Amino acid sequence: MAWLWFAPVLVLLMVVMVYPTASLVWMSLHEMKFFQTTKFVGLQNYKDVISSDGFSDLVSVSFMFVGGTLVLALTIGLGTALLVQSLGKRTAGAVRTILLLPWTLSMTVVGCLWLWLLNPSYGPVKYAMSKLGMESGLMLGNPDAALPLVIIAAAWWSFPYAMVLVAAALQSVPKELYNAVDIDGGAGIHRFRYVTWPHVAPTLGSTGLALAITYFTLVSLIIVMTGGGPLGATTTFSFAIFKETVQSVDISPAAVISMIILFANIVLGVIYKFVAAKAHHAS
Amino acid sequence: MSAPTAELVVIGDDASIAPKSSTAQPAQDRTPIRRVGARKVLVAVLCAVVVLVVLAPIIWAILTSVKNEVQAVTYPPVFWPDPFSVSAFKRVLTGQNFLVELFNSVLYSFSSVAVALLVGAPAGYAAARLSFKGKDAIMLVILATSMIPTVALLVPIYGLLDRFALVNSAIALITIEAARIAPQTVWFIQAFVKTVPSEIDRAAEIDGASRLRIFVSVVLPLIKPGLAAVFILGLITVWNDYLTVAVFAPDATRRTLQVAIVNQVLDSNGISWSYMMAFVLVASAPVVLMFLATQRWFVSGLLAGGVKG
Repeated sequence: MAWLWFAPVLVLLMVVMVYPTASLVWMSLHEMKFFQTTKFVGLQNYKDVISSDGFSDLVSVSFMFVGGTLVLALTIGLGTALLVQSLGKRTAGAVRTILLLPWTLSMTVVGCLWLWLLNPSYGPVKYAMSKLGMESGLMLGNPDAALPLVIIAAAWWSFPYAMVLVAAALQSVPKELYNAVDIDGGAGIHRFRYVTWPHVAPTLGSTGLALAITYFTLVSLIIVMTGGGPLGATTTFSFAIFKETVQSVDISPAAVISMIILFANIVLGVIYKFVAAKAHHAS
Repeated sequence: MSAPTAELVVIGDDASIAPKSSTAQPAQDRTPIRRVGARKVLVAVLCAVVVLVVLAPIIWAILTSVKNEVQAVTYPPVFWPDPFSVSAFKRVLTGQNFLVELFNSVLYSFSSVAVALLVGAPAGYAAARLSFKGKDAIMLVILATSMIPTVALLVPIYGLLDRFALVNSAIALITIEAARIAPQTVWFIQAFVKTVPSEIDRAAEIDGASRLRIFVSVVLPLIKPGLAAVFILGLITVWNDYLTVAVFAPDATRRTLQVAIVNQVLDSNGISWSYMMAFVLVASAPVVLMFLATQRWFVSGLLAGGVKG
């Protein structure tokens, strides 16, 4: 009767996760009118979505968003972890707490804060740029600038997560290894390259995957900051699903895109499990 | 939501990120003390700059929230509020729907975390302590569901709710939110139960206690910090959620503070910025205060793999 311990949670997950996943697969193979399946069309929906005009933009925006935010957040996370580590005990705790603040905020709130900072008429960023003799233009309203600005906001929100995990990995580095580098006459850069880096690299890998999953499925920040625009410049897969679910009559394209997200997430999640297990063994 | 690692690393409080003496001491042997001092100053200055840059968006929001509406939108921007005005906060707190939105935020987050713990804790205990045929399969299902993002299920869940006339149902919403955090709850509890020596279970068993009794009266009290970590991370995840509530319960009476924020941004009448910033600060205050009060658990939760999303 041991499985009874799992019964409540399994019932919950079956109803809210497993059944809807199965019905998503079913929907993606049908022509739909609102939420009614009208005709079985096999893989036609997939063909339509993948060959549609907007698809390549969707792919490139999603990848640029995930990749760009990852690079920025991991770099800042690693940098701040190293910086905080070299502080005195008390200050380190206080600084870490302060730097964690963005991560506790909702993406909706983060979006609002940045929307205001980047306001093209009254914002402090516009003011600072004009002081430096730069033209700020429409900022989030500029198709070329919108995605990088959303990336900055997303990285601001999420770098603390990387910082905490890297800081934990740094603690596991045996001090003797640094002494060994010193005895061999190594400089600071050698300490980082040969001692710190091998110890934090697996953690950066697993953290990066966890964050990639988060970025890939992030919607609210984009809703608030740009609404997917201008001209689709910030429309990722996940945002497209949100828009289609809310607005469309034929929701099968949204079902197909949902399948793509689902598949990508499971692949990333499985890789994450392996890398995280490895990162754990390394430390 | 990502796959949480089963292993638990608990970072201590301040002591945990103590300076590695190795970074300073061996250098001291070879370099003059003056250079070490210069390095310390450099680190301190760099830290101050980083802290300021990271906090800037929040500081600017606070400053804007206590300006009057005209001053909030002057250009070039005025740094210090003059006159200092709390009218934006008054307007937020006395707003027409504010109490309903606050109530919903509290209701959804506390109820769904309670449900997730109620169904997840026994599973987490069993995952750590019992072994039986089929357990691996069950754990795989739980792991797999933790990899399914809410956004991918918007379409089918909406269809399901629509069919049973459950769109705008608070109970349905709480169930969905509970399911979102249930997998991480199971993994967490499992990891925390594993830190309790199983000899304790055995001793209670010899005394004639049933499994359920052991779980409720012996093990649960021992993993209180773990329960607190699960509780806080779950609460923050649901409190901060926009998507689930906005899509599955769009009715005005079902809105949360997060949904209200987005509606104001999208309001065609334009945004009143001092009001907006005051609203955002009020909506964030509970989670920020909770985080400050319990940050040690929060951090141990992050390390145990509770990624929100």
